[in-house]
Amino acid sequence: MDIYFWFFAVVAVASSLFLVLAKDPLPGALGLLTTFISLAALYLHLHAPLVAIFQITIYAGAILVLVVFVIMLLMTPDEELGVQQYNISYKTLGAIAGVAMTALLVIGVKGIACIVGEKALPSDFGQPGLIGKLLYSDFLLHFEVVSVLLLVALVGAIYISKRNL
Amino acid sequence: MGVVTLNHYILLASVLFGIGAVGFVTRRNAIILFMSVELMLNAVNLMLVAFSRFKADMAGQVMVLFVYAVAAAEVAVGLAILIALFRHVRGVDINRFNLLKH
Repeated sequence: MDIYFWFFAVVAVASSLFLVLAKDPLPGALGLLTTFISLAALYLHLHAPLVAIFQITIYAGAILVLVVFVIMLLMTPDEELGVQQYNISYKTLGAIAGVAMTALLVIGVKGIACIVGEKALPSDFGQPGLIGKLLYSDFLLHFEVVSVLLLVALVGAIYISKRNL
Repeated sequence: MGVVTLNHYILLASVLFGIGAVGFVTRRNAIILFMSVELMLNAVNLMLVAFSRFKADMAGQVMVLFVYAVAAAEVAVGLAILIALFRHVRGVDINRFNLLKH
């Protein structure tokens, strides 16, 4: 199963780099789609089939379609990317800061991982039914709050895009 | 190459988060900024699922479902704001989104 991890890890990193370096948003969106799908494959490797399915339906299905739709709405030929974005010093500084932040993140999270320690996996781990039970028992309050959040976002999105602000 | 451990996933998720953060800071196209934020959220999701797998605690996977809901809300509102801004300045370059300056 090692080659499985390495294949999808390399694909995820390469396609996310493609997104960040893309000149146009649309090829960038396709790079992001590839990242989403390879992350879904990695979720399967991590015994999380329900999360993998949601990754495909919500991210690759709903969110990315919305983004591509907005690209279609907004991208007129005149709106090519401006001259200002090829500021090489910004990019160099950003890359240095990104590498430093990644290193800090790895060190910090590895420290947490050492503290918690690993456990053996039960045989029914990751079953969707168990996630459902958890969602409606321990996380019931969170579930309700998230439903209110989605309602507020729905109303807000309609209001913002409708009015002549 | 060895066995894939939690450290491999931590490294991968951190690299993805770093790429997303660099994209968010250095790019000027608002749509690519949005997609970079999505990439960072995905990196966090990967970290949550990896910890949930190696600590044998399924609460991590439930958390990912909540992150999905928040990401969906964020994209819906964010893209609506982007369209409203586009009506004003006729562009998606964030250097032109300086209405509060004037």
